[in-house]
Amino acid sequence: MKGKPGASDDARVFAVETRFQKLARRPGGISREKAIERADAQIEEVKPGFDAWLDGELSEFASLIKAAEDGKADPDWIAKANFHSRELRDSATTLGFELLSFVADSLCDILDTIEADSKYNMESITCHVDALMLARQKSYRRLRPEQVPELTKGLRRVVKHVTIAQPGDEETRS
Amino acid sequence: MTPAPNMNLRDLVILVADQSSYMSMLIHSMLRGFGSNKVLEVRDSLGVFQALTGQRVDILICDTRLPPHGGLPLTQTIRGKTDNEHRTIPILIMASDSRESTIKRARDAGANMVIAKPISPASLYDRLSWVAFYPRKFVDTQSYFGPDRRFKIEGYPGGVGRRRGDNVAEVAAESGPALAQNDIDNLFSAARTGQE
Repeated sequence: MKGKPGASDDARVFAVETRFQKLARRPGGISREKAIERADAQIEEVKPGFDAWLDGELSEFASLIKAAEDGKADPDWIAKANFHSRELRDSATTLGFELLSFVADSLCDILDTIEADSKYNMESITCHVDALMLARQKSYRRLRPEQVPELTKGLRRVVKHVTIAQPGDEETRS
Repeated sequence: MTPAPNMNLRDLVILVADQSSYMSMLIHSMLRGFGSNKVLEVRDSLGVFQALTGQRVDILICDTRLPPHGGLPLTQTIRGKTDNEHRTIPILIMASDSRESTIKRARDAGANMVIAKPISPASLYDRLSWVAFYPRKFVDTQSYFGPDRRFKIEGYPGGVGRRRGDNVAEVAAESGPALAQNDIDNLFSAARTGQE
């Protein structure tokens, strides 16, 4: 254990065989290929519910932004927006909606920066929410980011602008 | 490449702890596809403790941002309680924030593995398979209780492999951008029993 973090001369090292390990190795399991194929099929089954869920998420964003613009936002509204943004990115990626995933990821970058820095530019957030509204439309849903270069370049410019501090351009979080 | 051994998740109790009900539902769907028939979902740490005290749980899949304090303090608490029958339960941590500092904190909290969000069926399967087929010894010291952090990975059973040029085990100073899953695996010092 010498030289390792947390190690000491009196370290006790012992083998553990958990129930998970014992039972997962039982005969009768399914192959990796089959398991992944079946998981993909399960995900396809839940895809139809995505639109309703997405609408709920976008309406959450709209409420958070409206409250912030009216000066009535909770102090932790950026953290809440970031939670929804990550949730959207993670779900859209898993479901294969690349453009939505790209926009949500870009919004995560913005919100991460704001969470770390306490300053924000509301337009950088609202333009991302507008982009999410666009990307949710069925005609855009299956597109990849490189198929809408103007949109992706624009969002990248916004992220660059926000992540490289521009003194005087930002409002201080209320 | 050696074919992966078949994994049998039937009747194993899998606890998914994620604040997001939608993400949790997607993970649940994947697990069902893998053959799991006993998946529990909770939204916060209290739910985890209630589940762990109320029944047997075989593996915990937990988000780093689990309310109220996060999945890493929760992992540390589970590992730290000496009278806890789930003290050695396998814990997979899901992380949206895959910066090196986060991954190192997860490893030092006693997590078996970190899986970067967004999660795909293949990435989840491979990490479950790794926990199942390559058990690691536990280390108990004054400052740490959890899976041995000293080991290396040479690819998942039949799944993703290491990239050429990947470093094994030892890690650089923390900071910097988010890590790719392979880098997380290496940083996490993945295991192969007997090949430390």
